[in-house]
Amino acid sequence: MLDAKPSVKLVTKLVEVKDLKMYFPIHTGLFRRHTGDVKAVDGINFDIYQGETLGLVGESGCGKSTVGRALLRLYELTAGSVTIEGEDIATLEPEALRKKRPMMQMVFQDPQACLNPRMTVAQIVSEPLDEHTDWSADQKLAKVYELMDAVGLNRVFANRYPHAFSGGQRQRIGIARALALNPKFIVCDEPIAALDVSIQAQVVNLLEDLQEKLGLTYLFISHDLSMVRHIADRVAVMYLGRIAEISPREPLYADPLHPYAKALLSAVPDPDPSREATRQRIILKGDVPSPSNPPKGCNFCTRCPEVIPICREVKPELAEVRPGRFVACHLVPAQNNNAAGSTSGTTVQKHNQQGEPEQ
Amino acid sequence: MTDTAPLAKPRSQWADVWVQFKTHKGALVGLFVFVSLVLFVSVGPLIWAKDPTFINPDGATMIRTRNKPPSLEWPLGTDQLGRDMLARMMKGGQVSIAVGLTAMVISITLGTFVGVIAGYFKRLDNVLMRVTDLFLALPLLPLLLVMAMLFRDPLSKAFGTEGGTFLLIVVAIGLTSWMQAARVVRGEVLALKEREFVLAARSIGTPSRRMILRHILPNVMSPIMVAATLGIANAIITESALSFLGLGFPPDFPTWGRLLFDGAEYIQQFPERVIWPGVAISLTVLSVNYIGDGLRDALDPRIRGR
Repeated sequence: MLDAKPSVKLVTKLVEVKDLKMYFPIHTGLFRRHTGDVKAVDGINFDIYQGETLGLVGESGCGKSTVGRALLRLYELTAGSVTIEGEDIATLEPEALRKKRPMMQMVFQDPQACLNPRMTVAQIVSEPLDEHTDWSADQKLAKVYELMDAVGLNRVFANRYPHAFSGGQRQRIGIARALALNPKFIVCDEPIAALDVSIQAQVVNLLEDLQEKLGLTYLFISHDLSMVRHIADRVAVMYLGRIAEISPREPLYADPLHPYAKALLSAVPDPDPSREATRQRIILKGDVPSPSNPPKGCNFCTRCPEVIPICREVKPELAEVRPGRFVACHLVPAQNNNAAGSTSGTTVQKHNQQGEPEQ
Repeated sequence: MTDTAPLAKPRSQWADVWVQFKTHKGALVGLFVFVSLVLFVSVGPLIWAKDPTFINPDGATMIRTRNKPPSLEWPLGTDQLGRDMLARMMKGGQVSIAVGLTAMVISITLGTFVGVIAGYFKRLDNVLMRVTDLFLALPLLPLLLVMAMLFRDPLSKAFGTEGGTFLLIVVAIGLTSWMQAARVVRGEVLALKEREFVLAARSIGTPSRRMILRHILPNVMSPIMVAATLGIANAIITESALSFLGLGFPPDFPTWGRLLFDGAEYIQQFPERVIWPGVAISLTVLSVNYIGDGLRDALDPRIRGR
C-alpha cells in the first residue's frame, strides 16, 4: 500500500502554510524599547488536505496553540503566508477576512472560558448567524436547534446559561457554535484537554462523526498522544516553534524518525502491562530553551541524545525523507537515503508533501 | 422524550431579570422607597400647593411665623424666614434627585466610554489614561468654581436661570467625577479582553463595535452599577457644596443640599431642619444603592435562579 500512486482522494490542499512566523515582541526598560522577540512560531511549513485530520503535538509552550490561532489570523502574523482555499489569510483586508471567516472556525481549549457567561446557549450558537446571515429570528432558532441536535444537546437547554452545564456539554456548545456557518476547516485547540477522560472519548467521537457527516477538515492540536493517534490521519510534531516531523499516523507511531519525536512517543504509556513493563523511555535532559533565545542551529540540539557537531551550526530544513514523511534533522536523510532507497526522486524535496495514500 | 411539542421560544432575558430582581428583598424595598421619594417630590407639590419661596411680605407676620415647629399648618415647620419646610423639601428634592440622576448618568456614560475604549484599544490606552490621571489630579472644587464663573451667565441667558444653572451643575459634576469609573472599567476590560470567548467572537468575525456591546459591556456591568449608585450620592452632595459656595442655584432656590446648609446654622435649636434633608438624601442614596445591588445580581445569570 505504501508504494501506491498518490491517491486522488487526498490531493486537494485546503490549507497551505508557508514559512509561518509568529513573534511576540518583548519591550523592556524605561522607554519600552523593542529588545527581542518570543519566537513562538519560527518558520513552519505544512499543508492540510481536504477531509483529513492533521494532529499537531508537542509539549507545552512549543507554539501549538499559536499556530492554530495564527492560521485563523487571530494574531497578526510576523511573516509567512497561510493559504486557505487559494486565498492568503495573512494579507486579507479586514472586510474580506470577515467574509472568509465562516469557512474556518475554531473549537477552544477551555469550554468554561470560551463561552460568554451572560449569553444563553441559543444566543451563543446563533452569534455566527447574527454576524454572517440576514436570516429572521425564526430561521436562526431553527438552525440553532438543528445544531444542538447535531452535537447531541437537548433542545430544552437552548435557554440556559453556560454555567449550568458540565464541561463536556459546554464543549458541545462550543462545537455547535463552530459548526453554525458550515465551515470547511476547524482548528481544534486542545478541545479535550480540560475534560474528564470519560468525556474526552465522547467529544472526540462527536468530532469524528461530524467530520464524516459534514466532510470537515481538522487541525487537531493536542498534547495527548494517544488521542491524536486515534483521531489524526497525519501528525506534526512541534518543538520550540518549529516542526520536527510530519508523518502519517501509523509510520510515525511505529517508527518515529526525528530524535524528538522518538523521545516524545516513547512517553506514551501502553495499555498492555507486559509491553508497558519493557517500554524504553527516552528521558531528555535539561529544559526547553527559551523561545526568545533559541539555540543556533537545530532547535533541539541542546537536548538531543544523538547530537552531532553540524546540529549546533546549521538549522535543518524540513525535508521529505520517505514518501509522505517529512523530517527536519541532519541525521535522518543520511540514514534513510541508503536504508529506504525507495523511489529515486523522493530524497530531499523541500516543502513538497504528498498525502498519506489512503488504505 | 420522543417527539416533543414545539418548544417555547427562548424567553426574553428581561423577564428573567425581573423574576430574579423580585427575589432580592433589599432591592424591592429600595425600589419602593425610591419610587415613593420620586412621587413625593413630583406629585407632592400638586397636593401641597404652598409656594416654597414665599416669604410673608408683612414683616410682623413673617416674624411670627418664623421657626415654627411642626403643626397642621406647617407639617414640617417653617424656616428662619417663615417659609414652609414641607414645600421646600418637595421642591428641593426635585432638583436634587434630578441633579443626582443626570450627573450620575453623564459621569457613568463618560467613564464607561473612556474605560472601555482605553481597555479595548491598546493604541488609545495610554493617551486616555493619562487624560484620566490629569482629571484626577485637578483640584475639583476650584475647577468647578472656575467653570461656574465662566459659563454661568452665558448658560443662564440661553436656558433661563434655573435651566442654565441645572445644566451647568450637572455637566460640571459629570465632567469631574467620571475618572473612578473609567479606571475600574478599564481594568475589567483588560482582563475580559484576554478571555477566550472574546477570541472566539473574533474568530467568528464579530467587529469591534458589536464585540464591545455584546461581550464586553454586559460583563463589566457590576463595577459600573457600583460606581453609578455611589455617583448619585456624590452628585447630590457636590451640588449642595456648590450651592453653599454661591455658585450653584440662587440662595433662595431650595435644594436638599441647600436646606442642609441653611439648617446647619440652627442645628442647636432646630435639629429637625437638618434631619429632614439629611434623611431624604440618605434614603435616596441608600435606596438607589439597593436597587443597584439587586439589578447587578439579577443581571448575572450565574446568580440568577438561586
